Amino acid sequence: MPKIKINGNEVEVPQGSTIIQAFKATGVEICHYCWHPGLSVAGVCRLCMVQIEGMPKLQIACNTEVKEGMVINNTSDVVKETVRWGLDFHLINHPLDCPICDQAGECGLQDQYMKFGQYDPEMAENKVKKHKVVDLGPTVVLDSERCILCSRCVRFTDEVSKTNELGIFNRGDRCEIGTVAGKPLANNYSLNTVDICPVGALTSKDFRFRQRVWYLKEADSICPGCSTGCNVKVNYNEEGLWRIRPRENKEVNGHWMCDVGRDSYKFVNLKNRLVAGKVGQRGSWQEVTATDAARSAGLKLRETVAQHGPDSVALVVTGQYTNEEYHRLFTFFTVNLESNNIFHWMNNPETTKDFDGLLFRGDRNPNTKGVVDALGSFALKAKWEDLQSQLSSRKIKVVVVAGPENQAVFPDMTEKITFFAQAESMIWLTAGQSEALNQTGAETWQIPLKTYIEKSGSFTNVQGKVQTFKVGTTIVAQAFTLSEVVELFSGQELNWNLRPHSLGGVKTNYSIANRGAL
Amino acid sequence: MFKLSKESEDFVKKELSRYEAKYSAIIPSLFRVQKDHGWVPPEAVSVLAKLMEIPEAHINEVLYFYTMFNKRPVGKIHAQVCCNISCAMNGGRELADALCKSFNVQDGVMSADGKITVSRVECLGSCDTAPMMQVNDRYIENLTPELAVRKLKEMGA
Amino acid sequence: MPSQQSLLLSEHYGKPDFAKLEGYKKHGGYAVLAKALKMEPKAIIDEVKSSGLRGRGGAGFPTGMKWSFLPANGEPRYLLCNADEGEPGTFKDRLMMERAPHQLIEGMIISAFAIGCKKSYIYIRGEYDFAKEVVAGAIVEAYKAGLLGKNILGSGFDHDMDVYSGAGAYICGEETGMISSLEGLKGQPKLKPPFPAVQGYLRKPTIVNNVETLAAVKYIIRDGAPAYKKYGTEKSPGTKLFSVSGNVVKPGNYEVVLGMPLKDLIFDLCGGLKPGRKLKAVIPGGSSAPVLTAEEAMKATMDYECLAQMGSMLGSGAIIVIDDSNSMVDLLQVIMHFYHHESCGQCTPCREGTGWLSKILHDIASGHAEVKDIDLVKKISEQMMGKTICALSDAAAMAAISFVTKFRSEFEQHLQAGKRTLGSSAHA
Repeated sequence: MPKIKINGNEVEVPQGSTIIQAFKATGVEICHYCWHPGLSVAGVCRLCMVQIEGMPKLQIACNTEVKEGMVINNTSDVVKETVRWGLDFHLINHPLDCPICDQAGECGLQDQYMKFGQYDPEMAENKVKKHKVVDLGPTVVLDSERCILCSRCVRFTDEVSKTNELGIFNRGDRCEIGTVAGKPLANNYSLNTVDICPVGALTSKDFRFRQRVWYLKEADSICPGCSTGCNVKVNYNEEGLWRIRPRENKEVNGHWMCDVGRDSYKFVNLKNRLVAGKVGQRGSWQEVTATDAARSAGLKLRETVAQHGPDSVALVVTGQYTNEEYHRLFTFFTVNLESNNIFHWMNNPETTKDFDGLLFRGDRNPNTKGVVDALGSFALKAKWEDLQSQLSSRKIKVVVVAGPENQAVFPDMTEKITFFAQAESMIWLTAGQSEALNQTGAETWQIPLKTYIEKSGSFTNVQGKVQTFKVGTTIVAQAFTLSEVVELFSGQELNWNLRPHSLGGVKTNYSIANRGAL
Repeated sequence: MFKLSKESEDFVKKELSRYEAKYSAIIPSLFRVQKDHGWVPPEAVSVLAKLMEIPEAHINEVLYFYTMFNKRPVGKIHAQVCCNISCAMNGGRELADALCKSFNVQDGVMSADGKITVSRVECLGSCDTAPMMQVNDRYIENLTPELAVRKLKEMGA
Repeated sequence: MPSQQSLLLSEHYGKPDFAKLEGYKKHGGYAVLAKALKMEPKAIIDEVKSSGLRGRGGAGFPTGMKWSFLPANGEPRYLLCNADEGEPGTFKDRLMMERAPHQLIEGMIISAFAIGCKKSYIYIRGEYDFAKEVVAGAIVEAYKAGLLGKNILGSGFDHDMDVYSGAGAYICGEETGMISSLEGLKGQPKLKPPFPAVQGYLRKPTIVNNVETLAAVKYIIRDGAPAYKKYGTEKSPGTKLFSVSGNVVKPGNYEVVLGMPLKDLIFDLCGGLKPGRKLKAVIPGGSSAPVLTAEEAMKATMDYECLAQMGSMLGSGAIIVIDDSNSMVDLLQVIMHFYHHESCGQCTPCREGTGWLSKILHDIASGHAEVKDIDLVKKISEQMMGKTICALSDAAAMAAISFVTKFRSEFEQHLQAGKRTLGSSAHA
């Protein structure tokens, strides 16, 4: 571990680090655009300039390896002046259209100008005109005039997604990012280019112009889109969730996440949610509070066991709940109801093992490993065929289903609901609304559940890594976790003081709710 | 619809294995397209990409980086007049202007009849014979506007 | 003693048959190769080192030292001949390739043998179509004569050579830009470290030398380092081809000893200026070299040291002579337009700075500027120096600084005279 001095402070950094890595590791501020920890070194923005004792010229920190005893600073006047001018060079042809730019508030140019710039510009010439609103593909829009040609996006498509859609065309200050006709930016990782774009050049069609970022709050979470379990941050406000972006975790997802995963904020939002309890059958529903629905469903369950024995009830779970919920639910079934009729509903067994080599997996559940482990630890061995035979022989009277919160990844929803509805009664625990329930004849309780962002717990990803997450926000105040449902099933009371407050007036901005694709 | 001739396709395939790196075949292949068509139409990029198994964006990067590739049609006679320093001192810019005027064309824009394009270019490495121009592949040196017009007319402009 | 040329490399350039193998052999061609192949490779490197030969492409780096940076292992390595002669004012490499392609090939085989390289490329700028044809033809001749390929002249040394054409980009004259271009990429210079001698073409050790440098190797081996050092000065030994252009009566290529007074070159060999004209300035090493005033030019000698001392450089040996009929404002405008056109666009200070400078110079030239813009040119230029991957940015900046500093009063007078048009605009 070489010892070096950064701005007068002695620090020790790992052998082979570059100076910029040393700065980052020790939390010293350094200006940069093109360097990104997940990409190769381009060394083109020329902003991470540092002064190294004994070297006549300033060096770029991203391409210089630390050596024992190096004395480095980025606070001398000559470095400051260089960085200041470096920023000016970046901005002379930039349109400075922050008021109408979607990146404003999280823009590298704004941030670094405030930290390292703050000069009076002297550029009085006409700016270079470039292409605006370039449609790069289904997910991303480009504004070439805002682009600072850091080449991060091009390196991403070359090195990470390996899809090679992007290039920098032309020369000098006429350079522009672009795609070639017939080969749009269309891959399952395209939106990472928007994340790493330090300016407002690349924006997401899904998110742009919907919210000003400084009005959004951010919470850490785990992506529920597949069994990889990418670490994410979620942006939300009182209207709901607006976007999901990756959060670095070297062991799981590096710096990236897939575009499919980014859509997993949509099913969380109010318009897709079951917001209260429902009791009824054949599409004729009586709306009750969630608590009442859970209480009466629990009564039905306990009565059935009392009348027909523990084998007259069954529990079906999907891989979309937390380890803690499985534990509580399985304990209730096996200990309180003394039933071992617990079944695992696999939505897509044929694609479960698929993997694109980067992040996206065919198992579209965040916690398949968790549910399998929980079944094992409770020594539960019931097979799906058993459920089939017991349902058709009418042995099972009440089936409790912890259905998927992300229904889009369950192509067999309708088929399976019909299948479960062979029982006399069905207790359907879910976050979303399910059309198929309107067609069945079983006496049904629908009890609203919380989604991943509304609860705390853990998922076990495909690598066996247990990743915990905390409540980010609340969308449906009435909804329960499975553990809370179990409390009510067993006739207990919840600690109402710990329940989330109902959201205030939820606004819908119709002008943006009904907007088109771009 | 752009199509590569059989001979050109063979040429590209041969170039692919000629150099240590496959990508080195891009420049010669683009030159070949330009030789066949007078310029490099945008559709050529996808055709080459498929044939060479090299990403489109990469070929396009190369195409747009180098100025000798014509990104739009040029005349049968492409007069490229050097306007860099030694030529500028000896009337290179005036020569370019005179040619544009004489053939009634704008700098870099092909004449309506497709016969000629006059372009201003940077140093062509013939500074002792300034002013000079490159017409298609060859240099014509020690020019005056009158001489240049006459030579181009002789060539059919 | 009247000034004269010292024809070492260019001795036979006047003979048309010298471009062909037969004619070349008549004048002793490939005899030096036969001699070299019997030498120890290391002895060749030592000879080149002790000759003091410096790169003739522009940077003037000692050739023998460059070769010795190669790793000593047996890793495959490449020799690339830089024939992307793009520095405005330079036209010597074209002459050397058109008139004496075998001289270059022979020098290259000797150099390749010295550094243990089995494959070399000659990277010729795309515009030099005729030179390309001549060199490619000469390579075919050499293969037929057993001078290239397997077991050259029975020595057991194998070497292959090929020509590669550029396609119009000044930056490909920068050695790592050229490597990128040869690799089939945009000709953008690469980050250093790693240096080409360690990781160059296809990440293999690579030496890039200029046409004139490689040709000179032949004469160093033929005559020995001591004989070569008799030419030129102690620190700048050898002869050099100077491309003289601009306002002289007899422009052209002149091979003279290094250290020759610039005054003699201009006024004796090149026939001086046109009648009635006065010397105003000289650019001594291609457009990237800072300009010399007339007084400086009269004192300058054409060697690396003197020009460096004067704050300029020998560069590629392109001497652009400027008489008093020219406006320095106009010429700087032309030069800045060139760098703006040629900046590869990867490093921000160069990409944006060259464009900015070009626009300001255009405004100054057309009178749409103020005196303080002259200072701005200097400020921008200072911030473009030493800040980028390659030296294009520095070249543009140094040229600009030298013009506005040394000819400031002309710039001021020009602006005070109000709006006027100079020549015709350099902007297309």
